[in-house]
Amino acid sequence: MIRLRINSILKKDVLIIGAGGAGLRTAIEILNRRSGTTIAAVTKVASPQKSHTTTAQGGFAAVNPNDSMDKPIYHMFDTWKGSDCSSDQNVIKKVIESAWEQTLWLDNHGMHFTRNEEGRFSKRTFGGHTLEFGGGPSAFRAVFEADRTGKGIMDTVWGESLKGNVSFINQSIVTELIFRDQNCIGAIIFEEAKGEFTAVLAKATVISTGGLGQVYKITTNCRQNTGDGLAVVLREGLPVMDLEAVQFHPTGIVGPGILASEALRGEGGFLLNKDMERFMEQYAPKMKDLAPRDLVSRSIENEIREGRGVINPDHNLPHVWLDIRHLSDYVHDVKLEEITGFFKKFAGIDPKKDLCPVRPTVHYQMGGIPTNEFGEVQKSESQIVPGLYAVGESASASFQGFNRLATNSLLELFTMGKFVGDRVGEYLKHAYAPGDMPKTAGEKTFSLFSRYFETKGTESLGEIRETMREMMTEKVGVFRNEKDLDAAINQLQEFKERSGHISLSCSSLVMNQELVDRWELDNLLDISMIIAHSARNRKESRGAHSREDYPYRKHEYNYHTLASMVEYGKVRIGKRPIDMSIFEEKSKDYKYFDFMARKY
Amino acid sequence: MGTLHSLTLKIHRYDPEQKRSWVQEYKIDVGGMLRFTDVLRKINQEQDPGLVWASSCEHAQCGSCGVVVNGKPLLMCELLVQNAIRQFKTTIFTLKPLSIAPVLRDLIVDLAQAYKRVHKAKPYIIELAEAPPEGDELRIPPHVMQRYVEATRCINCFCCAEACISSHRNFLGPNAMMVNIVRLFDPKEKAKKERLDILYGDDGVSRCHTSEACSFVCPKEIDVAHFIAVGKQAKFY
Repeated sequence: MIRLRINSILKKDVLIIGAGGAGLRTAIEILNRRSGTTIAAVTKVASPQKSHTTTAQGGFAAVNPNDSMDKPIYHMFDTWKGSDCSSDQNVIKKVIESAWEQTLWLDNHGMHFTRNEEGRFSKRTFGGHTLEFGGGPSAFRAVFEADRTGKGIMDTVWGESLKGNVSFINQSIVTELIFRDQNCIGAIIFEEAKGEFTAVLAKATVISTGGLGQVYKITTNCRQNTGDGLAVVLREGLPVMDLEAVQFHPTGIVGPGILASEALRGEGGFLLNKDMERFMEQYAPKMKDLAPRDLVSRSIENEIREGRGVINPDHNLPHVWLDIRHLSDYVHDVKLEEITGFFKKFAGIDPKKDLCPVRPTVHYQMGGIPTNEFGEVQKSESQIVPGLYAVGESASASFQGFNRLATNSLLELFTMGKFVGDRVGEYLKHAYAPGDMPKTAGEKTFSLFSRYFETKGTESLGEIRETMREMMTEKVGVFRNEKDLDAAINQLQEFKERSGHISLSCSSLVMNQELVDRWELDNLLDISMIIAHSARNRKESRGAHSREDYPYRKHEYNYHTLASMVEYGKVRIGKRPIDMSIFEEKSKDYKYFDFMARKY
Repeated sequence: MGTLHSLTLKIHRYDPEQKRSWVQEYKIDVGGMLRFTDVLRKINQEQDPGLVWASSCEHAQCGSCGVVVNGKPLLMCELLVQNAIRQFKTTIFTLKPLSIAPVLRDLIVDLAQAYKRVHKAKPYIIELAEAPPEGDELRIPPHVMQRYVEATRCINCFCCAEACISSHRNFLGPNAMMVNIVRLFDPKEKAKKERLDILYGDDGVSRCHTSEACSFVCPKEIDVAHFIAVGKQAKFY
């Protein structure tokens, strides 16, 4: 029998959980404000450079305030409309107004933005980005580094964090938050390579653990994106927000689900069904293939459902075609080299000559840990948890509402990272001192982990996980209805029950991937239950949340869902209002920020 | 499903607690479009949940899943079964962990150790060369960037370092050298002297024997040897 204990205690000013783009931007801003701050950054991967931020392709939306055509207010409108009128306008304003300045920060810290012939930033257009409040043409407002913009951002913040002496704790997971007097004072982390538990005591703790894509069978998300931060927060009795808003990117490569960026359509690629029809013309007569992601994903699913999809024989998956054969060699070989390479490597086809098989793939969660515009974690609509912050995809402020526009995620994670860094810097001036480790710290973790080692049975961890992911894709996917959601909730209950009969094959704590997989399964099961319940509760269609039995948006659901777990399967649903401050200020263009029908 | 292939995988394993190494053989039938990461996942699910291997993004953008397959360092996530059979002309594959850092368990090595060499090459701007115009971006002509952007695609998977004949002891390695060389080109970097000291230091490019194995194995198809050669000749213009 393994005795579980806290092997060491580490004291820092700030603990950052998840060392991707958002977490490290926060760290750098804290150091910028208060040099000498001691920061520990925990990452699940082998080095922060390997974080999932590095896989973002297309771009970073940022309007230069001196632009002669584009204006920040147009970008605010597009974001508001794109979110299906469900994002918070105070956050929209703040993020978009600082976008340009943050791209300059990146450039001045070494990022290699692609340049045009004048030596200035090149720009490209993406779905849902328009001029003149949707009345004008597509807006060219995304700056980028070829088709590896996320890598450019990640390399920059990673480099700056090294320069700033952030201490990295690699290949580790966070299993529990530590509280005293309602203040968050750090977390318990499990260092996989050593097989040891460490209590990190910190004045401020920032959660930036990224996405939950692994809940679904086909996803662009990396293996580590199992929604860990959300699950840990739920286990502390705190709520999560809008988890029913899961973004399906329309063009995942069949079958691994790898992302084929919207940039391919931005450059002129288009979708075709089995009969070689450009079907997007019917669904979005104006924006066609560049309509927002939720709309294109539903259109593809609909084509497939009505028998106009194609079946891939190797993966037995239905899909449609993306045609980029007509794009120039320059686009294929230089501008979008990585992405066109993916088709060659992972689908064995040549996109210059062949049609590319694509289908919707889970890409992004709009919801997350609820925060205010400063990244302070909320326990209810009006109360925050002192000392605890969340940022990036794991957080929801909410900039994205119920559907995110392309290139708005890099923008959000980066600017919000800066704002959260500002706030933490302020907080550190008079922060609550963590003191010694509370006696109860670690209890939750050890009760979970000892159960993993003790339970015996013949259930297979891999089998439960894969069946669960298929079930979620089928029943809580692009389209949802009450019957499927009820069935999903029942099945999740069953999976949870079965997971209590898994025996681990190896009883070591050191670099035991199976042990981490087991813990991840609990996270996936918990989050799936919240997604299913939140989706069931929302009897309307809004953004990425599409109910076949309630196909329209309803006024009575104009709120964010706050969901917490009372016990497995028992979910408490609360509400947070949508911030309408731009509309309420009644300044010049306020009328574009009312609730509106979402047509493209 | 298309045709199934019967594979034999001979996997080098290591148990850090018993300090024991052994080679374990797995037989598995898989479709040709599966990647090696998919194959190992299938082994975890169907045969041995205890086999440990690393991966993250699984589309060759993070460089976490480097291993040595039949003598060649590569990323498992981009090796399709059908391509592996074609390339190596066999259905028997030996998988070994990279040797650039200590093994933690089975196929996972301590990349944090390997990364120390990259850190020595300072993967950031040491000092910004000139202040940009107020509220505006620095002007950098595309033809200037053209000289070095290819090298910025490196993901530090360490496949080149594994293949390099001089990379294990006193050479920082091809990937670390590229990090430094990028900033020698980059007009934003002011600290060129410090960069040259790294380049021509004891563990710098003089250790390179020009085998060009780095270019041969690079999963991102970067001509690493070209950048090393440029470094040797100091042709940063």
